Amino acid sequence: MENSKLRTIKLDGGKIILFLAIVGVTILFTILNPNYLSGTNMVNILVAASLAGLIAIGETYLIIAMQVDLSPGSLVAFSGVLGALLISHGMNFFLVVLVTIAVGALIGIFNAVMINKIDLQPFIATLVSQTIIRGFAYIMCGGKPVAINNTAYIQLGKARFLGLPLSVWIMLVMMLIFGFILSKTRFGRSIYAIGGNKTAARLAGMNPKRIIYLMFIIMGILSAIGGLVFSARMHSGQPAANVNLEFDAITGAVLGGVSFTGGVGDMGGVFLGIVLIQAFNTGLTMVNVPSFWQYVARGALLLLALSSDYIRKRNRERALLDAIKKATANT
Amino acid sequence: MKNSVEFQHITKYFPGVRALDDISFTANGGEVLAFLGENGAGKSTLLKILNGDYQPSAGDYLLNGKHVHFQSPHEAIESGVSVIYQERQILVELSVAENIFLGRMPVNKFGVIDAGLANKKALEIINDFGLAGIISPIDKVKDLSIAHQQMIEIMKAYSRENLTCICFDEPTASLSDSDIDILFNIIKKLRDEGKVVIYVSHRMSEIKRIADRVAIFKDGKLVTILNASESNEQKMIKLMVGRDLGDVFANLDRNQHIGDVYFEVQGLYSDYVEPVSFKLRHGEVLGFSGLVGAGRTEIMRAIIGADKMLGGKILLDGREVCNTDPHEAILNGIVMVPEDRKFEGILSNLDVGNNITIGALDQNSNRIGVLDQKAETKMTDEGIKEFAIKTPDSKKLVVELSGGNQQKCVVARWMATKPKVLILDEPTKGIDVGAKSEFYNLICRFAKQGLGVILVSSELPEIIGLCDRIIVMKNKRISGIVERKDATEDRLLALAMADEKIN
Repeated sequence: MENSKLRTIKLDGGKIILFLAIVGVTILFTILNPNYLSGTNMVNILVAASLAGLIAIGETYLIIAMQVDLSPGSLVAFSGVLGALLISHGMNFFLVVLVTIAVGALIGIFNAVMINKIDLQPFIATLVSQTIIRGFAYIMCGGKPVAINNTAYIQLGKARFLGLPLSVWIMLVMMLIFGFILSKTRFGRSIYAIGGNKTAARLAGMNPKRIIYLMFIIMGILSAIGGLVFSARMHSGQPAANVNLEFDAITGAVLGGVSFTGGVGDMGGVFLGIVLIQAFNTGLTMVNVPSFWQYVARGALLLLALSSDYIRKRNRERALLDAIKKATANT
Repeated sequence: MKNSVEFQHITKYFPGVRALDDISFTANGGEVLAFLGENGAGKSTLLKILNGDYQPSAGDYLLNGKHVHFQSPHEAIESGVSVIYQERQILVELSVAENIFLGRMPVNKFGVIDAGLANKKALEIINDFGLAGIISPIDKVKDLSIAHQQMIEIMKAYSRENLTCICFDEPTASLSDSDIDILFNIIKKLRDEGKVVIYVSHRMSEIKRIADRVAIFKDGKLVTILNASESNEQKMIKLMVGRDLGDVFANLDRNQHIGDVYFEVQGLYSDYVEPVSFKLRHGEVLGFSGLVGAGRTEIMRAIIGADKMLGGKILLDGREVCNTDPHEAILNGIVMVPEDRKFEGILSNLDVGNNITIGALDQNSNRIGVLDQKAETKMTDEGIKEFAIKTPDSKKLVVELSGGNQQKCVVARWMATKPKVLILDEPTKGIDVGAKSEFYNLICRFAKQGLGVILVSSELPEIIGLCDRIIVMKNKRISGIVERKDATEDRLLALAMADEKIN
């Protein structure tokens, strides 16, 4: 059928509104500060979005499947410190990358074990790991940032390709890969299925526990990558960094159309959501909104995102009710 | 003023079904109106509209001649409508008086609870109910018998001065005969005081005893209202179940060529079912009959690995198979359409197409798990066509279809996996009569293709009309196997309820 082609690029009303919102935010901040529209600033926005974007990929998977992870902020800081420590002890750069990613994956497994084996709510389980991982980030380095001098490592944050920093490319490539997996593979389909209804999905042949393991492993790996790139950009592993990172990631995902009621959302929307939130955050800084007020503004943005999620849900339900009335009247 | 409850053209939709269809009646104070109907006839939905748990999709609800729009059970209670449910809704750790006046305990002028006054008022009510000396206001409710706990609930409703209407939902389910006498005396008392009493039950003997009029429901419609004194049991049953299904079964094109045994279950048991053994032949429709809770669904769940199989063997084509989870069962060719369509069958957030292809993800993907969208589209289109699923296209959300069409999606899902054994657990539950007969034809078609079909059903006509052999279960065990030629409703019921008190 020809509509399978249409399906690959989903341009629904939600995405158009998001795009218009990004344009609107850009126009608003450009009026307030003409430097906002400069090329450097646009790249800065993308760089700022790259870390939250990476985390948003994992959150998107999890939220679609009715899970959530509150630990990535801690894990990103932890991975940065770990990477910095390993490289400063003379470990080979590629080995550092591999080990850090492996540790991230293990921590993902730990999160999933709490959920699968002792039946904790994901919210609670990852709140536990959030504080434990943050604790270990401080313990490993004694609370002091660890400087990075290795040139290969620094390049991770510095290298540019076609004018864009590596961190931006990593986010874009990961979004493409994981967007493809989400929409075009067995695994992706299973994520939607268990988010809609775990029991029915299991009876339809899915293995919800295995999918939860895989999703948290992915989240762990993405956080580790994020930690390596971020520490490279900072030239140091910082145990206190990235607090509330998951907040930006979740806000971006929800703005992008991922619903907390499960089973709904796609990667294209999440990309726009993340860009919108970073365009907003950067704009606030550029027009000198005091940082305390920025917290309030971000909270308001999340509230807006959740309200739009609610309105979308309500509209879906209304449309549904009408359709049901029609279907029932016809039979 | 005389109490009354009036429903005018009340209709209620749920996803996929019209639970109530244009219900109109008036219940007057001073009479007991009984609601009679099979499971799923709409009685519970009606009660939930009465007490504000549900809001009608259309129609008017009048209490004492005034329009009411209850948004919650609390509002209904405040307005004088109480429903006494089978499950007790009382706080067992509190005293009798505290329960009766829950949320409106009498207070003195400083706003402090006046326990003495509460106990005094509670005692008056207890006396009214003729239970003086048996129940004391200061008793803790958990120390009372089940029947007396139920009385407390009735007292709670009765203590409201504006009580207009009191509804009983299968109130005798857990009561002994002497308790029932007490309950009936109280119901008569409430009636004589001019309250509207609505009594929901499917026990004929009780209805004859207590009801003045009987409203009979079937498939969400009010069939008729009879005067209890002028009607007999046979007449009521006929109105209750009387569907024109006789012809449907008579005209079925059933499979006449049953093959050899190819699927065998030996001594299978789980946490939920005692060891069972049975055989299935090619092209055979094997029925599982029995009361709700007899263990039929539990066997099927153990077979497909949804529940852990603790012992026994499953043989398919002479090979032992072991299904540790439903996924493995699918790979082995054993699939099940589950009983609860809404929570176990359909995936409500996905569209029709994805609901059909979700069981065949392995079939439609390559080694690294990338799905072949052409194959999926083909499978979807074929499923919609083959099972005549009424949907404008495959992108429609499955919950937007009617119940019967949702169920067809689930059947299409499993038939697309080319199964060797098809298990249908109550496949026609909650779908309308027309769609039911479509399913009966489908089942016969599958059997003709040589597929062994296991049909679990609580509807006896369905089991008798469709099955070649019928296994009857009782208390998690097989209590008998009946051949088609010997199958009658009496025989099956006797096996299902043997050694139990038949009401």
